[in-house]
Amino acid sequence: MSNARKLSMKNRYSALTRDLDWTPTYVDPKAVFPFTSFEGIKIHDWSKWEDPFRLTVDSYYKYQAEKDKRLYAVLDGFAQSQGHLSLTDARYLNAMKLFIQGVTPLEYAAHRHFAFLSRYYDGPGPRFAAQCQSVDELRHTQTEVHTLSNYNKYYGGMHNWPEQFDRVWYLSVPKSYFEDAMSAGPFEFLIAISFSFEYLLTNLLFVPFMSGASFNGDLPTMTFGFSAQSDESRHMTLGLEAIKFLLEQDEANVPIVQAWIDKWFWRGYRLVALIAQMLDYMLPRKVMSWKESFELYFEEQMLGGLFPDLEFYGITKPRHVEQAIGEKDLLSHQVYWALYQFSFAAGFTTTVPEDDHLDWLSANYPDTFDKYFRPLWDKAKKVQDEGGRVFFRGLPQLCQVCQIPMLFTEPGDPMRLAQRQVVHNGERYDFCSDGCQWIFEREPEKYVQAWLPVHQIYQGNCGGPSVPEVLAWYGLQDGDAGEYAGSVDQQNWERWHDHAGKADVEAPVEAEVRA
Amino acid sequence: MSVKAIGSYDFPSRSRQELYGDDQLVHVWWRNNPFMSAAGTFRAPKAMPWSDFRAALLDPWAGTDPDFDPAAPGSWTLDGQPITPTDDQTLEQLGVGHKSLISFAA
Amino acid sequence: MSTPTTPAKVRMVGLDLQENDDSRAIVEAIEEDNEGVAVSRMPGLVRVQCPQRLVINQASVERHLGRPWETQEFQLSIVSYFGHINDWDDDQVVVAWDH
Repeated sequence: MSNARKLSMKNRYSALTRDLDWTPTYVDPKAVFPFTSFEGIKIHDWSKWEDPFRLTVDSYYKYQAEKDKRLYAVLDGFAQSQGHLSLTDARYLNAMKLFIQGVTPLEYAAHRHFAFLSRYYDGPGPRFAAQCQSVDELRHTQTEVHTLSNYNKYYGGMHNWPEQFDRVWYLSVPKSYFEDAMSAGPFEFLIAISFSFEYLLTNLLFVPFMSGASFNGDLPTMTFGFSAQSDESRHMTLGLEAIKFLLEQDEANVPIVQAWIDKWFWRGYRLVALIAQMLDYMLPRKVMSWKESFELYFEEQMLGGLFPDLEFYGITKPRHVEQAIGEKDLLSHQVYWALYQFSFAAGFTTTVPEDDHLDWLSANYPDTFDKYFRPLWDKAKKVQDEGGRVFFRGLPQLCQVCQIPMLFTEPGDPMRLAQRQVVHNGERYDFCSDGCQWIFEREPEKYVQAWLPVHQIYQGNCGGPSVPEVLAWYGLQDGDAGEYAGSVDQQNWERWHDHAGKADVEAPVEAEVRA
Repeated sequence: MSVKAIGSYDFPSRSRQELYGDDQLVHVWWRNNPFMSAAGTFRAPKAMPWSDFRAALLDPWAGTDPDFDPAAPGSWTLDGQPITPTDDQTLEQLGVGHKSLISFAA
Repeated sequence: MSTPTTPAKVRMVGLDLQENDDSRAIVEAIEEDNEGVAVSRMPGLVRVQCPQRLVINQASVERHLGRPWETQEFQLSIVSYFGHINDWDDDQVVVAWDH
């Protein structure tokens, strides 16, 4: 490299990214960057911000373009070859329905907020990192929509996700989570999304999930997932650099950051409860259990690897983390059991796991599944065998903070629902856990405003008082919700595969599916 | 603690009782029956008699469990305190408030 | 977590890479240049980890690939990692815990 005429990565980064900054002289810097002091965070030297990727605009777009080229080549091949017929089973797509309804809108929200941050941080390092992430998140939104539109042509549940994100009860969980972060200050947002979500928890979401796509014949999802995830490693780095930067800038930042870690670990952990059930219940062919994933990606890598590193700064493990660990044998089962009972009002279907699936759950959860959960499924199956279907006859009580139905149990007692109640300004508020109660009590003014779907339905704000009116307001169509067995998707799937090997195989036609 | 914000920060509850007129939200919880995946919430008039509350709301909800026997519920509690409701008592007379939690064992 | 009695547990760092041709050469280079490397696989993914510090040398990757390779191309292979990206320069990428 000694006689190379081009600049080294370090010098390019210095010249093309950091050097484009200037100090305002005729406007007060506080007026240019008005949002970086009210949270109490003290920054003395923005130039100390590190970006290990040393990204410049030209190299950023060069590699992003290459990622997109690879992805779209796969998407074309998939569409041209009727790739959807190669899935393990149509029920697999319930995971993807939940994904486009609940995750894709978060990508878009992240795009918006990182665009905001790329204007409002004082330092050029974090501004440019935020700008790249903003563009990344828009790319993720678009590639996810393009990928899943291939399935939307033939299967239910994916046709109205942007509106559903704003309306449907279980989607208020990711929506309120992200809006909580967006309505916080620019530093809390970094700890919330870049550190607690991207670095601490995102591996739990994407890595086993995309591996699951690979294992279930979902080539395009695997490809967009890995493509997005390659950006994600940069986002994780932003999260880790952010926390180190804040902690190194001023000792007074440490307790503020610790409180944010405590809050956002629990917020994020509750959010990924929706992922837990996907891994254990929605993938026909399993990659790893939720418990295994939690132990590997969270306990081993984060608690065992990262937190000893952060101890150097006086940061301790997140508050309530022991309760999360205590739930790892229960979480996915409790969540899917609730989704099973509430899927009459969902944009996906559920069903009783088949026998070999139940056996897999027993084997992977030897301490809890046969004792607490298998009997529930046996009973639900009996009802289903007799021509019935267990659905929850009413609406659930919701947690004021995470907005998940009150389905979690007392630490150490899987037979007893956890109920926490706090009276604030004369009004009762309900919580699913000590973690959510603690978060409320830190900032009650924030969470009293929660748009709780069940309460909104009862106030008459969701299309009408009856369930059919609410479902119409959600934009659900025939076949989107309810039981998988006998659903439109299942019937089509059988029809498209029934005649395999015969000459009269019926070709899937888009129009006939959702007439 | 309170919210750190760029301006004054004071907003009303989005689920305050006045938004429900003469009604209120009531939570129901069948303790120690994991077949019921979650606790439930109803909107009910404050003046609703207990017998109507049972017949119109709570019993049909508990029927989510096919083995539910309407004669079985007992050990009633209201917000954690034991109660012994009678048919003609209204929710208000029972002391049920907005977002109170009624639970039972069966 | 389950063995808190083990003193001074060695902390691992590692990478999850897409299972593809380029990654194969990268993994070979990592195995060559680091001590105690463990490689494992999940559908679509290859995971490579080693104790405390992992280095990818550009020269080694180029030798295994048989073509020029810029370290920034590593962005096309990486899916996730654990540790801290300590250095990323023209000649190497280093993942390590700092403290």
